[in-house]
Amino acid sequence: MLLSQVFRRRSLLRSGLMGAVVLGSLATAMPTFAQADGLYGPAATDAVLGGRLNMGLLVEPPALDPFHQAADARIRVTVLMYQGLFYESPTGEAIPLLAESYTVSDDGLVYTIKLREGVKFHTGAEMTAEDVAYSYNYIRDAENGSPGAGDFAAVDDIVVIDDYTVEITLSAANASLPMTLGNKYGAVIPAGYFDDENAKNAMNVASVGTGPFKLGEFVPNSQVVLEKNPDYWEQGMPYLDGIDFSILPNSASMLVALRNNRVDLVALSRPQDVQQVQNIAGLEIERWPSLGQTAIDLGAETAPLDNLKVRQAISLAVDKQEVMQASIGDFGTVLGTVPAGLQEQWGLPLDEVPMQGPDIEAAKALMAEAGMADGFTLTLTTINGYDWMDPAAVTLREQLGEIGITVDIQRVDLGVWINNFRSKQMGFTFNDWATQPDPNLLFYRHFHKAPEGADFRNWANDSASALLDEGRATSDQAKRREIYLEFQKELADTVPTIMLFSPDHITVRNDRVHNYVQHPTGWYYGLARTYLSE
Amino acid sequence: MGSYLVKRLFASLLTALLASVLVFLLVRLVPGDVVSQMMGQAGGETAENALRNFFGLDQPIYVQYANWLMQLLQGNLGTSWTRGIPVTQMLGPAFLVTLEIGLLTLLVATLVGLPLGIVAAIHEGKPLDNLIQAFNILGLSAPVFWIGLMLLVGVSTTFSWSPPLRYVSPVQSLGGNLEILALPIMSLGLLQAAAYSQFVRQNVVSALHQEYVRTAIAKGVSKRVIFFKHILRNVMIPIITFMGLILIQILGGVVIIESLFALPGLGRLLLSAIETRDYPVVQGALLIVVAAAMVVNLLVDLAYRLIDPRVRVA
Repeated sequence: MLLSQVFRRRSLLRSGLMGAVVLGSLATAMPTFAQADGLYGPAATDAVLGGRLNMGLLVEPPALDPFHQAADARIRVTVLMYQGLFYESPTGEAIPLLAESYTVSDDGLVYTIKLREGVKFHTGAEMTAEDVAYSYNYIRDAENGSPGAGDFAAVDDIVVIDDYTVEITLSAANASLPMTLGNKYGAVIPAGYFDDENAKNAMNVASVGTGPFKLGEFVPNSQVVLEKNPDYWEQGMPYLDGIDFSILPNSASMLVALRNNRVDLVALSRPQDVQQVQNIAGLEIERWPSLGQTAIDLGAETAPLDNLKVRQAISLAVDKQEVMQASIGDFGTVLGTVPAGLQEQWGLPLDEVPMQGPDIEAAKALMAEAGMADGFTLTLTTINGYDWMDPAAVTLREQLGEIGITVDIQRVDLGVWINNFRSKQMGFTFNDWATQPDPNLLFYRHFHKAPEGADFRNWANDSASALLDEGRATSDQAKRREIYLEFQKELADTVPTIMLFSPDHITVRNDRVHNYVQHPTGWYYGLARTYLSE
Repeated sequence: MGSYLVKRLFASLLTALLASVLVFLLVRLVPGDVVSQMMGQAGGETAENALRNFFGLDQPIYVQYANWLMQLLQGNLGTSWTRGIPVTQMLGPAFLVTLEIGLLTLLVATLVGLPLGIVAAIHEGKPLDNLIQAFNILGLSAPVFWIGLMLLVGVSTTFSWSPPLRYVSPVQSLGGNLEILALPIMSLGLLQAAAYSQFVRQNVVSALHQEYVRTAIAKGVSKRVIFFKHILRNVMIPIITFMGLILIQILGGVVIIESLFALPGLGRLLLSAIETRDYPVVQGALLIVVAAAMVVNLLVDLAYRLIDPRVRVA
């Protein structure tokens, strides 16, 4: 998951009404999850058809190719144009999207998936099983260079049974397969699409998906224009004629554009920006829960972070609440071992999470046991452009100073950071990433020991890896939950990472925008159910 | 004149070549490449290697450079690695946006700065001069993003108006284009006008103190004649140089204003290309900036030769 470089927050069903927590004042009731309400959000009973929505983007999608671009800024927009077989419901179920239904063999290795009929690509061609098999076979072949390839490593074979049935065979049971067939990487596109050498690039000019919107125009550094797909398979959807995304990489300008109705809707990331539009008539601010997380990563390749007691001491010295307050004020949720959006279903109850601070005495004792009673100096890496990291870094420096650790703050460019991360040389650093609503997709690649996982933090934890394998193979939800709780205990106890908080998604809309629900991933699914009054 | 031009062109080409080598190396010295950007925290080794091979990043750097240079000599700047369209297709529109900003800023700065400078010089030491100098100091010391933001917020609060976000070219709609560019041009123009007026003032003041001017005044030549016939012609040379400098400065330094006002110009394109490590676009954009600087310099030099006979002899 690319660092989710933007905001996060969410809304809920209250007595059948979809309503987020509206911030009239800075009242901060914690948003909770909606019940699954079908694809993309609740259908509107009295939607007005037509009109074009102006949405602001603070971060530009580098490209609109769902197969080769991992950037979150890309995913947010492309989920409106491209569809996978399943939709990631906010509550963590995989709801059939281009699939209609599926069955799993008793050993959990063979998935037989019935496809929806009558689905058309933006090219006008009809979607069949051949297209589905082609698309997923393309993405899982690492030679094709997709960042999503790793998620499909357990897939052995994908074959066409008939026009509307595919069969996927796994080498090992994997309960998150349906979620993997979601919308983060890849999508169903016409068979043979990538045979043309220029196909990757052509996706920035014309979309070839099945989604509710098609690409009108993508002008670098300026705008992304989406048009309603007239052949869309969901009856009566979408409500809007089109969406004009204006790319405005400067939040001060974005706020001015909001005030003057140049922008109807925007997701903001900085609390100080939210405060600026707080009391403006006609603007609604809403908070939504998030699957994103901010964290401190502790790379065991960097001494003395290879010492378990030192990592535990750091964990005990950290006051997460204080760090969050300094970074984003009240616009978030302090975490234990999973992002806020997963806590209810998959998270270890916060009072059972080991090694949680602040407990300075216990931390000092561990430092002494580690032979580090006199402390040491540690470099903390932060990333330019991630606003929350600067205040968090200064706060953390104070907190760790209490147990004798001198923190040097080093700001680096995102490209530099990614390089360190990918080469497993991340040292002591802040991180900011997001997940699909599934514990296997959250943990496996990041924390399973190599070669099956990437183990970016050089944790090399055998028992935790065994639990991850077990959790992935278990489809019984209750059992699966137990396994992941066990894993989280190990994670919190041995501290390869310290999850700090989930910043809520915050959206600001003017009052002509209706029925927009922010998905906890931060992706703009909700626009498929949004309408304008006027 | 002909041989002079040939010499100039040759020197320019050599400079451009050196600049291209520098740019090529510098952009590759920054850690991280387009592949790690595309992969983020996902991906795996096989996929990465496949992409590096696709972009030719697995070849030695001198081979990459030679390939790029060969393409360049055929007038091909390559293809953007993130957008997949020819670099020239991206640079063209972006350059026109920035060029328009540059020329309009120059126009505003000249219309405001030149008269202010002259008036200040003529009233040297008097209250009016002090007032103009105060404006200059303010303009010289205010950062462009602050001025831009203040204008944006000020206009928004006062008139509930802010510039449209969808850029239109002057060809599509001149009115719409000027509506979008008004505030950014004012921000940049005010700033440059201050520098301009300060520069003009100094030059005119020093000209006014020249012996020949005093002689002319003593002989009873009218002030107007002295000013337009002697002084203005003498201060034109440094002023033209200064205009050239302003233009180059704008072409290379509009990133902030373009980001603030969502203008799809060269500066912003360059910035986002650096962020995504889109080497072909970075190289192409910087090459355009270097080329533009050279053209402006050449024009300045040619203007000298037209204005000042002594330069022609030299």
